[in-house]
Amino acid sequence: MKRAVSRITLGLFVAGLIWFSYFSVSQVYPFNWKVLPRYYKLFLDGLVTTLELSVIALGFAIVVGIVVALARTSHSVFLKDAGTMYVWFFRNMPLLVIILLVYYGFGSAINIDRFWAGVVSLSLFEGAYVGEIFRAGIEAVPAGEIEAGEAMGLYRRQIMFSIIFPQAFRISIPPLIGQLVSLVKDSSLVSVIALGDLTMRARQVGTQTLAVFESYIALALCYLLITSTLSFVGRALERKMVIP
Amino acid sequence: MTENKILSVRGISKSFDSLSVLKGVSFDVKQGDVIAILGPSGAGKTTLLRCINHLITPDDGDILFKGSTVKSDRKSIRFFRAKVGFVFQRFNLVSHLRVIDNVALPLVKVLGKKWREAREIALKQLSQVGLEDKAASFPSQLSGGQQQRVGIARALVMQPDIVLLDEPTSALDPSLVGEVMRVIKRLSSEGRTMVIVTHEIDFARNIATRVLFMKGGSILKDTNPQEFFESASSEIRDFLTDLSSIV
Repeated sequence: MKRAVSRITLGLFVAGLIWFSYFSVSQVYPFNWKVLPRYYKLFLDGLVTTLELSVIALGFAIVVGIVVALARTSHSVFLKDAGTMYVWFFRNMPLLVIILLVYYGFGSAINIDRFWAGVVSLSLFEGAYVGEIFRAGIEAVPAGEIEAGEAMGLYRRQIMFSIIFPQAFRISIPPLIGQLVSLVKDSSLVSVIALGDLTMRARQVGTQTLAVFESYIALALCYLLITSTLSFVGRALERKMVIP
Repeated sequence: MTENKILSVRGISKSFDSLSVLKGVSFDVKQGDVIAILGPSGAGKTTLLRCINHLITPDDGDILFKGSTVKSDRKSIRFFRAKVGFVFQRFNLVSHLRVIDNVALPLVKVLGKKWREAREIALKQLSQVGLEDKAASFPSQLSGGQQQRVGIARALVMQPDIVLLDEPTSALDPSLVGEVMRVIKRLSSEGRTMVIVTHEIDFARNIATRVLFMKGGSILKDTNPQEFFESASSEIRDFLTDLSSIV
């Protein structure tokens, strides 16, 4: 009850703040919302591209992440170092620079489609973070349980598949959802290589209609909608998968 | 005589860096023996037990199982471990598996049984330790004593020739020690062959058929419980005095 009251109060306060800001801006900036609906197809097109890009990149990032995590937790010093180096490089490089390198760098040597340049850049970049998430998950499995597997006579591979991975995966879900949200947000950077994602479409609509502020407000709301939906679904999944 | 020897430990040595933890330990375990390994902390008791089933690879020495040396390749170790139950101090149940699946796991993964059949056997084994009603629970929903009883059921379900128990009651609240002790006591009355590393004098006095007293990486005394508790050796007297002063 107390919580509900405080939430309603906060909601009213934020709504008031938004209305006040909007009202102030509208004194100097003539908001013209009527033109936007005519361009909804462009927004929709951008939304689909952003979602496609994110889902495909997430798939590859998970594959990259699994490889990186296995390398970093393996007994081979070579693989360990290789994994560490990969993570070092991609976590210390701005995503924007990676996109430029892939599209304008490699793209000038070999013909590479914008969309796939975006997918490759995002997968390589997010793969480093996903790899660290999986590694933390693997390392969080209690050593005693692995020992119990050894003591009952399981082979290494059986220990991995029956004891380590199922737990590591469950432990990884919450941070993985967070990373997926980041991925969707990060994907807006691909607009610099004129890949028709949500952000680029919003810029297009803005310049065509001169309703720049309106387009970007719509853009912001679109991203909020996607990312909050993901977080919501993620929390539901998390509750379902949690080990009591 | 040799045919009823289940296990022979021959000159096992182990060092960690420069610290020599086991200095050529040897002893035999015969069918039906219940051996309590006692000794002060750092004597190498747990290391010895872990060396026996290769959780730690010994630097030197041999383990003989029913008269033949256990080779150190994957297959031999797996076969040997399947015949040797191990009960951990901290239970080490697999936390994402329900109790019944914890017990069924080795049957499925080592003996290749189907989950259905394995669960049936596991349920019978759980009822032996009085926990069939907890079959669907997860380990974290059980008390320490219950978890350890599941740990024992998991070790027994493979019908091992010998069970190694590493301080099975040390991680338990004093009020939960009794239920685990009763289970272990019953195993000994059924004629199970066991090696127990323990700080519970009660184990040594009432359950054990033999007591090994370890100190500084060697076995100082290998005797029957009665003789052990009447021993005049100053080291054993000191150890027993220390132990009783803690309680």
